[in-house]
This record gives sequence, structure tokens and C-alpha cells, in this order.
Amino acid sequence: MNIYVINGPNINLLGTREPEIYGSETLEDIEKKCLEQGVKDGHIIKFMQSNYEGEIVEWIQNAIKEKVDAIVINAAAYTHTSIAIHDALKSFSGFKIELHISNPHLRETFRHVSYISPAVDAVIAGLGPNGYSHVIELLNNLNSQRIGKLA
Amino acid sequence: MEFNQLMNNNKLLIINGPGLSDLSNFNDYGYEDLTLKKLQKKCLETCKSLGIDLDFFQTDDQSELYEKLSDGLEGFDALIINPVGYSHASKLDLDVYNSNIKTSAIKNKPVIEVHIANIFQDGESVSEPVIVAKSDVGFICGLGVNSYELAIRSIHEKLNQN
Repeated sequence: MNIYVINGPNINLLGTREPEIYGSETLEDIEKKCLEQGVKDGHIIKFMQSNYEGEIVEWIQNAIKEKVDAIVINAAAYTHTSIAIHDALKSFSGFKIELHISNPHLRETFRHVSYISPAVDAVIAGLGPNGYSHVIELLNNLNSQRIGKLA
Repeated sequence: MEFNQLMNNNKLLIINGPGLSDLSNFNDYGYEDLTLKKLQKKCLETCKSLGIDLDFFQTDDQSELYEKLSDGLEGFDALIINPVGYSHASKLDLDVYNSNIKTSAIKNKPVIEVHIANIFQDGESVSEPVIVAKSDVGFICGLGVNSYELAIRSIHEKLNQN
């Protein structure tokens, strides 16, 4: 499978930004684990991070063009604001998973609304940094089952 | 050796809330022929392979659910709960539910809330967030049977870190 793992704003600060919420692992650590899991399962994984909304939209459009099989997206703060990312994800017909390291619903009320959730197949939150590699591990099962109403 | 392994097995409780005795209404989501029994079998297999003792519980009775939450957690190391109805029709008493979840989270027991379908799809207004348990819990929805699978694996990892 071809998989895009897309990370949004401030995730590049992981490990230094509020480690009591997000943990001490860095984005490079997470990327390494994802790529290792990908090699194990025979996936081609593109791991990306951007602080720019438009760039994330372009990556999703690129995924559509390249017929990528799955997107794992942690849109971070754009989760709660971006209709543009919502729209782009709607146009992507592969399997898509929204991921958050912490559980936004347990935090400030302004994090309780997600424009991403209605546009994806599945939502995962609060499993910590290892949520990424666990999800990639599961994508083999998901591919054969093709869960979700977009099936 | 085998005796020791047996003694060290982590104990996991999976609670399935009201309505989950009948999973046929998930056919619309592409989970055709999914039954609680199949779900249970899958969970048992995964737990067995990871060396976890599993109590797979389902009730359509609210008071029984609360009872299980408040009394039943005592002997367990972790909880996975699919509370179904509360997120749609607020059929469950949220205060009772949340305080019970909180109690187990305070005791440093990992809690993960799971749903089979993506509960944010299908007419849920994006401006009205679904309320989830207000404590340190993980959240997984939309992966079908694999929502449980992912939850079990995450809990296994968490328990072995501590």
C-alpha cells in the first residue's frame, strides 16, 4: 500500500512542546517507527509535516492524483478550523484516518469541534505517539475489509 | 515458567453497552453479518495471543452497565468500553458514566472508548461535538471490529510499559 502520513502545525515541536500532554518523543522518533512498521508490512510510507494549511491541502490533492491507498492525518490545530482540509479529504476516495496524540475532547472546548471527523472513515485519539505505528500495523486488515460507508 | 506467565496475565474488561447485542444495524456501514459473537471471538483471539485474560461483557440494561462499571473494575487492569447510545440519544446518565470512567483512570488503569462506526459521520453537526468521557481515556471509532483490535493492542503496550 501507498500511505501518506500527514502532520499539521506545531507537530514539528513534538518532544519540546508541552511534553506532559504530548510526550517526550520527537516527530523524528515517530517517523522512524512508522517507516519501520511500513517496511515490515511492505508499505510505502510518505511521512510529512507542515505548518501551512494550503500545503496540507495540496498534499491531499496529490494523494488523489497518485491514487494513494490511505491517509493518516493529524491536522493538529487545523482540525478545529479548516474547511479546506475537510473538502480535500472528501475528494480522496482511499481509506482515511484522523489521528490525535492526545484526546482533544478532554481538553479546551475550542478543541471539541473537528471538521476532519465527518470527512474521514475513522478517528483515533489519545493513544499517544505510538498510535501512529499501531494504525499502520492495522491497515493491512482494513484494506481487506474496507470498512466504512465509503466502501 | 508457564505458571508464572499465567499469574502475570493482565486482566482486561470489555464492556459493550445497550443495543450492541444486535449488530445488524451496522450493515449500512459495510459490516455485513457482524454479530456480537464474532466480535467476541476476535477479541478473545487477540487477547490470547497477547497473554491477556479477557472478560467480554454486554448488557442492554443501563443499571447493569453502571453496576459493572462501578463494581466490576476492581479486579481488572484496563477497560475498553463501547457506550453506544449515549453519544446519539443521551440515553445514558453522563454524570454517572463519566465519574466511573474517571475513577478507573485515576487508578492509572488505561481506558479506551471504542465505537464500531465513525460516530461523527451521517448528519452529526460539526458544530455540536459529541460528548466523550471527561477523563484520561483514549478514543477510537470507525475501524469496525478493528476498533477493538487497536484498543487491545494499545492497552497491551501501555500495561507493559508501566
